[in-house]
Amino acid sequence: MSDGATTKRQQKAALGPYGKVGKALNELDDRLGVARGGRTFMDKIFPDHWSFMLGEIALYSFVILLVTGVFLTLYFVPSSAIVTYHGSYLPLDGQKVTQAFESTVNLSFAVRGGLLMRQMHHWACDIFVGAIVVHMARVFFTGAFRKPRELNWTLGVTLLILAIANGFLGYSLPDDLVSGTGIRIAYSIMLSIPVVGTYLAFFVFGGNFPGTAVIPRFFILHVLIVPLIIIALVSAHLFLLVRQKHTQFPGEGRTEKNVVGSPMFPVFMAKTTGFLFIVGGVTALLGAFAQINPIWQFGPYDAARISYAVQPDWYMGFLDGALRIWPSWSFMAFGHTIPLEVTIPAVVLPGILFNIAFAWPALERRLTKDHEIHHLLDRPSERPRRTAAGASVLTLLAMLFIASSTDVIANFFHLSLNTVLLMMRILVIVTPILAYPVTYLICKELQGVKGGGKRKTPNLVTRTEEGEYLASATPPYRDDRPHEIEPAPVPIFIEPEPDEPTESGVRTVER
Amino acid sequence: MRSTLARRVALSIIAGLFVLAPAAIFVADAGANSLNPPQTTRKNSGTPNSSYVLKRHGVVIKYGDKYITYSAPPSSLDALGQALFLENCASCHGTQANGVPANGTNGAYPDLVGLGPATITFWVDSGRMPAADPRVIEAPRRQPRLTPNQALAIAAWVNSLAPSYPLIPTPHLKRANVADGAALFALNCAACHTIEGDGDALAYGTYAPSLRHIPAFQVVEAIRTGPANMPRFSGNLSDQQVNDIVAYVTEYIQHPQNPGGFGLGGLGPVAEGFVGLLVGVGVLILVSYWVGERS
Repeated sequence: MSDGATTKRQQKAALGPYGKVGKALNELDDRLGVARGGRTFMDKIFPDHWSFMLGEIALYSFVILLVTGVFLTLYFVPSSAIVTYHGSYLPLDGQKVTQAFESTVNLSFAVRGGLLMRQMHHWACDIFVGAIVVHMARVFFTGAFRKPRELNWTLGVTLLILAIANGFLGYSLPDDLVSGTGIRIAYSIMLSIPVVGTYLAFFVFGGNFPGTAVIPRFFILHVLIVPLIIIALVSAHLFLLVRQKHTQFPGEGRTEKNVVGSPMFPVFMAKTTGFLFIVGGVTALLGAFAQINPIWQFGPYDAARISYAVQPDWYMGFLDGALRIWPSWSFMAFGHTIPLEVTIPAVVLPGILFNIAFAWPALERRLTKDHEIHHLLDRPSERPRRTAAGASVLTLLAMLFIASSTDVIANFFHLSLNTVLLMMRILVIVTPILAYPVTYLICKELQGVKGGGKRKTPNLVTRTEEGEYLASATPPYRDDRPHEIEPAPVPIFIEPEPDEPTESGVRTVER
Repeated sequence: MRSTLARRVALSIIAGLFVLAPAAIFVADAGANSLNPPQTTRKNSGTPNSSYVLKRHGVVIKYGDKYITYSAPPSSLDALGQALFLENCASCHGTQANGVPANGTNGAYPDLVGLGPATITFWVDSGRMPAADPRVIEAPRRQPRLTPNQALAIAAWVNSLAPSYPLIPTPHLKRANVADGAALFALNCAACHTIEGDGDALAYGTYAPSLRHIPAFQVVEAIRTGPANMPRFSGNLSDQQVNDIVAYVTEYIQHPQNPGGFGLGGLGPVAEGFVGLLVGVGVLILVSYWVGERS
């Protein structure tokens, strides 16, 4: 008993206040010096506003894409070699199909859980690009892209383009009737690029369309090269986020000099891990209950076959819509066909749109002559011109997206297809022009609303003894009240630096 | 001052577009509908009956009774057929079924003589005829107004004016190969009816109807007679091939297996995009709002 470390309680006390975990971390710190960086990382402050979680939807659906994608590569055969299908789906039995198509059908029907994985992969892709767009809209309308975060905005736009491109590549891999039509359109778009188009198309496809090289090439781009670039850029995106710290909405106690929110550990880590599971859960539910891309119904691609009512995945819709409604402007010149009907909507238009997106922070600096550093966000109504411009572009994209389903609209509403086409041509021009002044006026109105952006509180009606009724306002809701920050004591596992705060929980950190 | 003027000009342009856009749509729609409806005026050009043998490019194709049996409507129904025709059809197609109504001009309505009994029964059995609105570009499928036997009677009388093919078909689906049917469907039918068979709008108010609720014999009739805008597939598809297509349509197009869950109406990426954005992204945004508000 004189040793002092014989009871369990004494042994535990001898390990120090943080137990075995702390001991292991100390060992790690002795060798790698992780304490300082770990401290910074765990103290990273995340503002609590819900709109800051939109980017996480994209991040976690990308994680799901990686996991399900790895599963799919185990069974997918990226080959254009022709085989005869003899599988469980009777209408395809005996048909000549490519190995890519055969292996996709087989992984759907013959591999346990294969169809679920494939559908989750596809749904996660639709959600991934959608979440990027929503996140980008949040960043745009609140002015989070302003100095010093222009580089991160540029990375984000690049990620959007890569996500769209990789989505298209993956959509093309099963070599079914619908995706084969999409590849054919992509080939034509490449051909339409002036001067280098034919060379580029032959270079990418290894000869004439369709050839046998395109499926293996798309495969290696889709599963290796583009994902690697995306992972690298996402890492850079997040590194810059930590390095530059978060933006925040203005409020009591929030200044250009601080960030108010929850620290990475333990609050945000719990929140975000839960969110990962929710994103996974929603994707799994969609994958289990909503059928997507039933390639067995479409059959194998064959240049002689075509299906009507074929649309690309939604994120390519604006390109397809532009192609559909553009007037057929092509003419012969210099001994060549100049296919402006393809070049302008499919090459020039997205080029202009994405270049405006890249250049927007610089454009806005020039227009507003605002070269200051901003960490506090704008409410969209405070910047009516920017909000109106963003609404205008989003309206244009939405109209182009709708234009990609002219035939579905015509069929659904029993209209003439030609009427719908003309209607979309007009709407694509008119609605973005209208969206600008309408949004501008709405923003101006919102600026003038007393207590705008805050939830209304009920009026309290009281009756006096004399029978007189009196109405009085109740105090604002907790979230809308200027609130003091209350540091909450929580356990910490790493010894703090001498002059750093010792509590985690909601608090203020100097930049 | 200048800015006010510029603003006024801009506003009046916008207002003008507001007025012009619906006007243009209206005019365009009127224009689209005023075109002459495409009409089935092609006479029987050798569509086969059961024993017909066609020599094409040196290959003899026998239209076998093994796969589809074609039968003529019984002549005992002629008298009933004429009465029904005068009652229901003659106001447009004329008392002689030649497309010339009383006091009418030749060519306004289709001439039915020589089109074959299958044409008549297809239009009547699918409820398209008698038409609710004779001016409509493509009469839609409706609840039939006449019974199958009445349709058969009309076909019998019209056929008695000038006996012609195709006769009324009965496919034998047990002998069909759905795999061949699926391949032929993708090659011949999907370009208009879509690969999932839901149909879609074509140019100038015409459309390819959905194949979801069509009895097998009507699918054969449509393929063999080419109603409205549809091409007539006579020489290029054998009875065996037609039988395969019909088996694929009635078994798989009309009853898709959808092992992946809800079929989302067969609308393809349009429906998938809406579900992905509204259900997928939408639910996750709501969740992030819920999580964020609880901090």
